[in-house]
Amino acid sequence: MIIQNFNHKMAAHCESGTITSLLNHGGLDITEPLVFGIASGIFFGYFHKMKSFVFPTFIVRNKPGQMRTNLEKRLSVRFKTYDFKDPVKGMQTLDQLLQRNIPTAAQVDFFYMDYVPSWERVHINVHFLVVAGKEEGKYIISDAYFPKMAQLDGLSLEKGRFAAGNMSPKGFIFHLDKLPAEIDYNKAITKGIKKACFYMLKIPVPFLGIKGMRLFARKVLEWPKFARDTEHLSHEIMKINILLEDQGTGGAGFRFMYATFLQQAAEMTGKPALKELSGELMQIGDGWREISLFSARIGKNRDLGPDKLKQLSEMINDRADVEERFFKSLSKAIS
Amino acid sequence: MILYVEKDDGKYGPMQTGSFISANYMEDYLYKRRNLELELREQLVTGHISPVKYYMVLIDLSFSELAARAGIRKSRVRKHLDPVGFRDATIDELLKYSTVFNIPVSNLLQVLLVKDNGGFESCFILESSAGKISVDQAQTGNPCVVLTKIEERF
Repeated sequence: MIIQNFNHKMAAHCESGTITSLLNHGGLDITEPLVFGIASGIFFGYFHKMKSFVFPTFIVRNKPGQMRTNLEKRLSVRFKTYDFKDPVKGMQTLDQLLQRNIPTAAQVDFFYMDYVPSWERVHINVHFLVVAGKEEGKYIISDAYFPKMAQLDGLSLEKGRFAAGNMSPKGFIFHLDKLPAEIDYNKAITKGIKKACFYMLKIPVPFLGIKGMRLFARKVLEWPKFARDTEHLSHEIMKINILLEDQGTGGAGFRFMYATFLQQAAEMTGKPALKELSGELMQIGDGWREISLFSARIGKNRDLGPDKLKQLSEMINDRADVEERFFKSLSKAIS
Repeated sequence: MILYVEKDDGKYGPMQTGSFISANYMEDYLYKRRNLELELREQLVTGHISPVKYYMVLIDLSFSELAARAGIRKSRVRKHLDPVGFRDATIDELLKYSTVFNIPVSNLLQVLLVKDNGGFESCFILESSAGKISVDQAQTGNPCVVLTKIEERF
């Protein structure tokens, strides 16, 4: 049984795509960039040493799960959420929701999603997808990263939903519960932008926001000492490209999607300054893409000497400078 | 994948496209992955690392994350990373590791190699290449037993 009228749509990012999909199915005409922007999805964080990571890494979006909670606050939509200790109960509840024709989003460990080739799969507990039905014991999965719906056997879905470790999903599922009669988009957009500016400019944590970018620029010079050998370093440097472009960001580490949000927000709020800023952010995004390309190139050529890493560091620092100016202008434009 | 781009009318919007890195750098990625597996396999068969370490490094997990995911005390995991300490692992612990690595438990005591492009390659990474032999390891109702089916691909 596949849920009636459920339309699978590809999206740039799994969490914003999943939420957009549930809202669209419920009858709310909203785009992924609007969901992302209102939920203050844009972010930056650098993690130099964390026990859960093998190597230093960075993030370009806010905390997983926060898009949903921010959106609930700002649009007054309600999602019903569930988490479980008992996998049997967790799977039974999902089946019951599907029987009631309710498309249900699930948080899973991407590693067990065996509709993805094995070499692409990594352990990451914060992948979101929509379970859109069940046929002959297999779950019908609407994963925003794939052009078509996929099938997944129950055991793999259960392993993914109940994986342990950092940010373990604990069987977490949610579905749309209630849409408000009216939405004040003006207020929601303003709040979303203000919070994003706070995250980028003022959050009092040295490895987050613009401060995080500068830390990344400094610390990338130390990356060789964390690597097993040149091939490992090459792999990690090339991952910069993956994290910015391929890992569901819509390009340039979400900068292009946020620019799209600002363009749509300009029309909805009647604030032309946001349109100008959206163009500026597109250009800033081009700079991030240059970083992606540069990282991929030096990684592939194993050209990873101190001079190249210094060049990379300067490029990241440059992004920190332009984004600091950008978010200050954005903050001013919205106040 | 979806990229947000500027359209002809000046509006920004989504466009379905392929991955630049997949198109241009996939071979390099697979080359590094094969090399890493070969290097780890060599350390494994010469008794320098345990199967737990082999898979942990191959799938890019940190020691702490492996312990948390398997639900095994860090001191035990540390012991199991060493080939001698690995012999103390219980079947129950091996089952927990195999769930994290998403492999049949039997593969913690063997490396399945298939002849591919002239050389033998580990089944664990074989899916990335178009080999002529398919190895299907189906789980059974008994978590300790796997049915391994080897057949020629047509």
